Amino acid sequence: MSKRAKSQPSTSAKAGDPAHSLITAKPPYLGFGLGLRSQHYTDILEGNPHVDWFEVISENFMVPGGKPLAILDRIAARYPVVMHGVSMSIASTAPFDEDYLDALVKLAERVEPKWISDHLCWTGVHGVNLHDLLPIPYTREALDHVVARVHHVQERLGRALCLENVSTYVQFNRSEMPEWEFISELSKRTGCWLLFDVNNVYVSAFNHGYDPFAFLGGIPADRVIQFHLAGHSDMVNYVIDTHDAPVRAEVWDLYEAALRRFGPVSTMIERDDHIPPLAELLPELEHARGVADAVLGKGGKRKTAAA
Amino acid sequence: MKLKDFQAQFQRAILEGNDAVLEHLTDGACETKSNLLNVYRDAYTLRLIDVVGNDHEQLRRYLGMDDFRALAAGYIAAHPSHHPNARWFARGLPDYLKSAEAFADRPELAELAALERALNDAFDAEDACVLRMADLAALPPAEWAGVAFVRHPSATCLKPYTNAATLWKALKAGDDPPAAARLPEPARIVVWRNETIAMFREFPPDEAMMWELIGEGATFGRVCEMMAVFGGADGAAMRAAGILKTWLDVGLLSRALPPAD
Repeated sequence: MSKRAKSQPSTSAKAGDPAHSLITAKPPYLGFGLGLRSQHYTDILEGNPHVDWFEVISENFMVPGGKPLAILDRIAARYPVVMHGVSMSIASTAPFDEDYLDALVKLAERVEPKWISDHLCWTGVHGVNLHDLLPIPYTREALDHVVARVHHVQERLGRALCLENVSTYVQFNRSEMPEWEFISELSKRTGCWLLFDVNNVYVSAFNHGYDPFAFLGGIPADRVIQFHLAGHSDMVNYVIDTHDAPVRAEVWDLYEAALRRFGPVSTMIERDDHIPPLAELLPELEHARGVADAVLGKGGKRKTAAA
Repeated sequence: MKLKDFQAQFQRAILEGNDAVLEHLTDGACETKSNLLNVYRDAYTLRLIDVVGNDHEQLRRYLGMDDFRALAAGYIAAHPSHHPNARWFARGLPDYLKSAEAFADRPELAELAALERALNDAFDAEDACVLRMADLAALPPAEWAGVAFVRHPSATCLKPYTNAATLWKALKAGDDPPAAARLPEPARIVVWRNETIAMFREFPPDEAMMWELIGEGATFGRVCEMMAVFGGADGAAMRAAGILKTWLDVGLLSRALPPAD
């Protein structure tokens, strides 16, 4: 299976090759954003919330028509938008779902997102989708496999992909490198950007007993273009990435450290469940701005935005 | 073990409860690998129960949370998802409920689910133009008999044998639903999207007949003839025109086809 996947990008993705036309310039710094949720449509479109940009779940808009796409058009006309998918299954050994990629390309043509992200995970094999972000062993075989798949997707999208570290609950005794080394190598070999989910790093580090700051230190600083902040649930012996509560203090601490290491990076709060009114999320976003200002100084954002 | 074998084994662990993958896992910092694997197993079912519930809010309300969870879990076990987009996961629910022996004596469940599926499908159906009364203003009176219409592509007609539509309305309004009942004749429920709102309406027999005729490409003249056969010649054209106006007002038609030469 991996042999098949490896063969997919072999005809291109090389500088100098006429087929090599990926947009590889670093995407712009966007400031402080939120995940777009249907509960907030009216408040966003009828108000003028202090939100710099929105991240949309790609699959929510990969539908034939109707209100979702009509709303998205209006949001995209007013705000920078980033597309964030949950079903690319970049690490799966199943053949790519080319229909899915076609739909993703079509949506990107409509939305003109600043970048397109998904997760470093797999979601199913044998034609089944488990609709979860499943972990992989960090082996050289898996790395070669994912590298080949990222090349394929980047060719299909015509741009560098952005990949997010997921929360994991299990680790594999066959892993040959830590997660951050896997991610670092993946980015180096494919040119993909990284979405550093601060909460996911905290969750995985807690569950597996490693130092989240070691993870942070192992990620190449120049590849990170987005932060996710979210809340998690404490199950005493482990924590679950539930995205249903405010960001916790320990995640804010890690965010501070991430800002120190990566500098100004587009930041957003990702709430997927128990979604409060927009007015309750905005102070949390303001808090993120405050943390960034305190670490970087108010000018840091502007300097990078103009770069 | 190759990555593909490992993924197949991990998937079996989630779908079938097979524990073989445990030998490749390490214990967590403070929790056993078995319990940590269960995080994935539990999340799989809970997430998909949510997906089914979000697509079938009135069915969930009708059954109550416990019974709904059991019903959804049965569906999830019988129908693993084959689509990358969870939007389509619950589409098989009406057929599952129709064929599952456990629900054979409760046909209203499948029909309630079918109504909700139709509303969901109308909600994000393909965009299409909507025919309005003003669009027909320029049509010379002599040409009316020869004009035909295209129904809005979001529209679909259900023929429930139960009072599922009445149940849905009561549940949506937050009222106690009446008892489920079998209808003497199947109803004609047309579901469509008007602007951005998915809606439905029960058509009386003459309107239902007209809906079917229009769908078959019948001209307005032919529709008037059939209205006369159905309800008497007196006022047949007026009845047809009244129904047509209602449809134009609520966005049920997409285009008018001019008379063939």
